[in-house]
Amino acid sequence: MGFAKLILRRKTLLFAVGVLFSLVIISVFAPYFVPYDPDALRVVDRLKPPSVNHFFGTDHFGRDIFSRVLVGTRVTFILGLSIAAFALVFGVPIGVLSGYYDRLGMVVMRVIDAIMAFPAIILALALMAIMGKPGMVNVIIAVGMVWAPRMVRVVYSSTLSLRENTYVEAARALGASSARILVRHIAVNLLSPVIVQSTFTFAFSIMEVAALNFLGVGIPPYVPSWGGMMNEGRTYIIRAPWIILFPGVFLALSVLSFNLLGDALRDRLDPKLRNIV
Amino acid sequence: MLSYIVRRAAGMVVSVLLVVTITFILMQLIPGDPASVLLGPNATPEQIEALKRTWGLDRPIWVQFYKYFANFFRGNLGESIFFRQPVLRIIGQRAETSVFLGIMALMVVVGLGIPAGVIAAVRPNSWVDNSLLLLALAGASIPSFWLGLMLMVLFAGKLHLLPSSGYTSVIATGNIANLKNLILPAFALGFVNAALVARTARSSMLDVLRADYITTARAKGLRDSVVILKHALRNAAIPITTVISFTFASLVSGAVVTENVFALPGVGSLIVQSVLKRDYPMIQGIMLVVAVLYVVINFVTDLTYAFLDPRIRYR
Repeated sequence: MGFAKLILRRKTLLFAVGVLFSLVIISVFAPYFVPYDPDALRVVDRLKPPSVNHFFGTDHFGRDIFSRVLVGTRVTFILGLSIAAFALVFGVPIGVLSGYYDRLGMVVMRVIDAIMAFPAIILALALMAIMGKPGMVNVIIAVGMVWAPRMVRVVYSSTLSLRENTYVEAARALGASSARILVRHIAVNLLSPVIVQSTFTFAFSIMEVAALNFLGVGIPPYVPSWGGMMNEGRTYIIRAPWIILFPGVFLALSVLSFNLLGDALRDRLDPKLRNIV
Repeated sequence: MLSYIVRRAAGMVVSVLLVVTITFILMQLIPGDPASVLLGPNATPEQIEALKRTWGLDRPIWVQFYKYFANFFRGNLGESIFFRQPVLRIIGQRAETSVFLGIMALMVVVGLGIPAGVIAAVRPNSWVDNSLLLLALAGASIPSFWLGLMLMVLFAGKLHLLPSSGYTSVIATGNIANLKNLILPAFALGFVNAALVARTARSSMLDVLRADYITTARAKGLRDSVVILKHALRNAAIPITTVISFTFASLVSGAVVTENVFALPGVGSLIVQSVLKRDYPMIQGIMLVVAVLYVVINFVTDLTYAFLDPRIRYR
């Protein structure tokens, strides 16, 4: 690896961590320091371009885009975290057990393959329709159900290779129970692939949540979210493109940072994962 | 080869059966019964009962399941609640837009992704490589609907070069110029996937370029372009085709949102409308068509590899 590339790698990683750290701070504290109430309507100020008073301009109700984008960070991160957690809670146990018990694995993986035959957004849309109404919990379930099978796959293939290790054989020879082997020898070593996959799950799920909100089937429109703001801005896209520009930049920056972090973690923790994750 | 085809075909049939089962189960999860959802709050119990009888909803669940399967294999995916027409017919009417959009997006994917990957691999770690890698990573992080909206602002709003939305059938009107409406959506949709293909093309080209036969080819005094395009790219083709076939699912997902952005009358905007209108038979029909298509495409790709690379058949 060339020297230039190493620096580039470090620089990009530094960038990613910096962006994510700032976004976490923003998501926690934004409601306390944003210049305007994100929901306050000021019709006199409607569709104003970016200026010193309104850094990112205003929307068709005269709401301050800067304040709304910053406040929207919170809901994005809460949803991303919850979806990643959902994928973990369902994906890891199912994946480990399927990887360890061949017969179970054969059946489960067929079902997982079949679920993955439905493109991500189509499955999420169908689940939203089935659950009936927009809302945070429903979005978490819908998008979580899309990403949990992918987590199962990663954990499954890692378990398959882990269980062939000599130390697993040794543990079995010493009379360790399956439960003990699964927890003490396999689950512990799954940490790296699971962390890496969770990072990617986070990245993809916030993109998908934004898409659902953009289509008007995610969380209710009165909660400021990046996707929802872009949806509302569509009617005014030619007159006031900033309504869409800024939430999109924040979304792209977050996804990019998580992808960069995921790549770096994968290379760092276990380069072999390249073929799995 | 024959035993490989048979094994893969059996796998495909199992996947299709599972896909059909999953959609059936999902539709059972809808709260309330479909008959009252369809008839609305003002329906009398008699009307609901009558509709249930026509749809067979009063029968035991396993009878319904059997009927569902039988209908699926007869190509009967039910009737849309909103359009009051067979689901498959509506999907057929919307298919043209989506298919053309998909083909054009795929052209963007291949046309941008492969050259970018090859150029990056030929000069690894150069500034060209690094900037292409960074561009590819950025491309994979940009939501396609946002890219679409921004392209719309630039090319339709400011420069007035391309139409911003809508599409009229090329087949019905015979006017090829209508495809102009699909240029921006195809680019927005394709760019994201091009990034993925570029990354794969780069890494598989790098692998191949290290091979002995490349050194031999160079030693023979062959021109660089011949070595790269004829010797290397051909052998790097398998992983690249895999990724391109994977992009199907991602293109379909992207198309759902992109069609919505550009107001294109395709299957993607149809499913969003159906979700908003709670047209469950329509949603279920689109899910089935798309998933079955996915399974079939995977099957065909697998066979293509086995044909290209005989080693795969024995795995």
